[in-house]
Amino acid sequence: MLVDAFLELLNLWVLVAALVGIVAGIIIGAIPGLGPTMAIALLIPVTFSMEPIPAIILLLGVYQGAIFGGSISAVLLNVPGTPSSAATAIDGFAMARRGEGGRALRFALYASVFGNIFSCLVLMALAEPLARFALDFGPAEMAMLMLFALLVIVLFGGGSRLDALIMVLVGACAGIVGLDPISGTPRFTFGSFAFENGFQLIPVLIGLFAMSEVLLQAFDREPLVGDAEVPPLKSSVVRFVELWRMRVTLLLSSLIGTFVGILPGIGSTVPAFMSYNLARSRSADAAQFGKGAPEGVAAPEAANNAVTGGALVPTLALGIPGDAVTAVILGAFMLHGLAPGPFLFRDHGLEVYAIFEALLLSSIPTVILGLLFFRVAIHVTRIQPRHLLPAITILAIFGAFSVNNSLFDVWVMLGAGVLGFLFRRAGFPLPPLLIGLILGAPFEQSLRQALLTSGGGYGIFVGSPITIGLVALIGLSLAISLTLSLRKPRT
Amino acid sequence: MTFTRRTSLALLASIAITPVAAFAQEDYPSRPITIVVPYGAGGTTDISARQMATMAEKVLGQPIVVENQPGASGTNAMRAVAAADPDGYTLIATTSSPSFVTPALRDVGYDTLTDFIPILNYSGPFHGVVVPADSPYATLEALIEGAKSGVVTYGTAGAMGGAHLAFASVAKDTGAKLQHVPFDGASKATAAVLGGHVNAALVPAYRDLVQDGQLRLLGVLDGTNDPDFPDAPTLKEAGLAAEFPSIVGIMAPAGTDPAIIAKLEAAFTQVASSDEFKTFMTDLSQPVRIMSGAELGKTIAENLTAYRAIAKDLGN
Repeated sequence: MLVDAFLELLNLWVLVAALVGIVAGIIIGAIPGLGPTMAIALLIPVTFSMEPIPAIILLLGVYQGAIFGGSISAVLLNVPGTPSSAATAIDGFAMARRGEGGRALRFALYASVFGNIFSCLVLMALAEPLARFALDFGPAEMAMLMLFALLVIVLFGGGSRLDALIMVLVGACAGIVGLDPISGTPRFTFGSFAFENGFQLIPVLIGLFAMSEVLLQAFDREPLVGDAEVPPLKSSVVRFVELWRMRVTLLLSSLIGTFVGILPGIGSTVPAFMSYNLARSRSADAAQFGKGAPEGVAAPEAANNAVTGGALVPTLALGIPGDAVTAVILGAFMLHGLAPGPFLFRDHGLEVYAIFEALLLSSIPTVILGLLFFRVAIHVTRIQPRHLLPAITILAIFGAFSVNNSLFDVWVMLGAGVLGFLFRRAGFPLPPLLIGLILGAPFEQSLRQALLTSGGGYGIFVGSPITIGLVALIGLSLAISLTLSLRKPRT
Repeated sequence: MTFTRRTSLALLASIAITPVAAFAQEDYPSRPITIVVPYGAGGTTDISARQMATMAEKVLGQPIVVENQPGASGTNAMRAVAAADPDGYTLIATTSSPSFVTPALRDVGYDTLTDFIPILNYSGPFHGVVVPADSPYATLEALIEGAKSGVVTYGTAGAMGGAHLAFASVAKDTGAKLQHVPFDGASKATAAVLGGHVNAALVPAYRDLVQDGQLRLLGVLDGTNDPDFPDAPTLKEAGLAAEFPSIVGIMAPAGTDPAIIAKLEAAFTQVASSDEFKTFMTDLSQPVRIMSGAELGKTIAENLTAYRAIAKDLGN
């Protein structure tokens, strides 16, 4: 299987897709204010006519490239391209001001690759066994798992819990529109045929993450980056010994990233800061942290790259995405006929393993291209997003239309864009809204399916070892969250 | 009648147009033909329609473009094709659900019988009644009898689909307590029956799981037996007055020139009956089931009536 999957990769288009994806990702990620979620959302429609393997590899390449690109603007300009590289900026920018920007970027690059490889191995080890286990997940188990996922994003997603709760509920409410999943009757369609399918994920995604960014920047009078002086980039090397010295930090950070990634809904910002703090507390020279410690760059970068592999485990095995980015990738998988769940590995094992191996091997081009792009990256970071806004708008409209060749989806995209703009302007986080939209309707369906099979009895939600375990997890996370907030001194 | 410049122009124009209209069917096809598929790219309907198109291009001598218009269980695409010019250049490769199931339930904005001319039927996956291999029910009768004493749950690909309606009618006729549990697609319903979360499932693509001994096939919902499992009875053979025939056929908007329809029917039938197409469909685990346009029209008409009656009984 592994060999056959590898042979699938020996295809010019796969290589082209990987290289194009990584380069596009590095460039988009390096532009301050443009992040990986937006890059993937915009590029999904471009992959429509491609074969599944190159299509997914292109998108994963964009993602990997964009995460690294995000650390370029974080290190050189102190403007994190993504929230998850905010932790990288602390020590990275300090190093850059010392004239060690090149070294900081190299540490970031090698740590990213380490985190990626580590989590990819975990993914390959865990996803298929978990998928085999997936037949045991009936409606009741799925309902409890999704409840747990929604709870986790509200309680531990970072930021205000009330904000996250409101956003999850907004997303779940948007999921009600369309045909009732159990009785098949139209809900909130206002007699329009176009509404019967509900709001399609991809137009909503493009609207929330690309269109809202355009509106946000168009209405924002203060430019994100002024004509700030970019620190000089001296040629430098990072020796293997230096990485070997921080092996424990790299390993622990990758572990944190991977396993937090497996928990649905948290995303990569929390593990990045968790591993930054852990690296600082373990360091013999903690005072150096914040003043330009290489480990302070490596730890969060290893963690936020490791999240991808972890987050893909529940996404592929059970169809429950871990964060906004995997939600987008899940959309891409379904679009290309690779439906996650117990049959994914049986029906599409070859494709899935080819994608895993590509994810693993794409570290090589990422390193090469990353090293090549340092020089160019300085110029890329000077690109003002406003010059790209027209192009993003056109891509967004084109992309939304091409999903179903329907103009209705374009209106959905624009609506989601305006809504996303208003929410972001008001300070609400968007990822919980997306997870609410993705999990809301299936949660309702599973809940009602479970009650149909049990004849209306609620006992089914504690009727199997899996549901009991999930209920225990739900109780545990509520308890942890409660103790933490009680212990925290009120300010 | 005085000849003004305008009338003479009109006359000239009509002379110019008449032969084009008269000989349109002889020239047909003179430009690329579009076949609309009401589902997304990569599904079995899409893949088989694309193969059909590629092979029919050689027969008709013009490119055939397959266009996907997914959404609203296929009714969006049907509505669009019903409104298209009936010139033979816009066709649809459609299935049971948007042809006679959904239109029986609610207003969909088209009437399959008056807005379309069926050209031919070329496939249609068999839907089976399957139970887990360790299920106590060995036959359809046993399943129905079992459902009289206690509730039997069955999963289908979705609410108000053909399979659901067929079994709802069985439940009504026999008084069996058959509880429907709709899933999001047939593969999730199959997973649920494999995991034992429902007692039975009405799903297509059961062949490998049945041959592998993971599922037991009690019967098929179609009007004819599945050639792979000739022993599995149809619902009618089991004494139940319901069926859900599965169709995959090509239709044109009503008003299309009969000569064009005849030409298309001949071309597509030639393709569908070829060995190359059969081999392709076997690899896709799909049967080749050829019906003429007239037969397909009759099947749709009969089932539309039957499904309207079932839907009425269900209170829709």
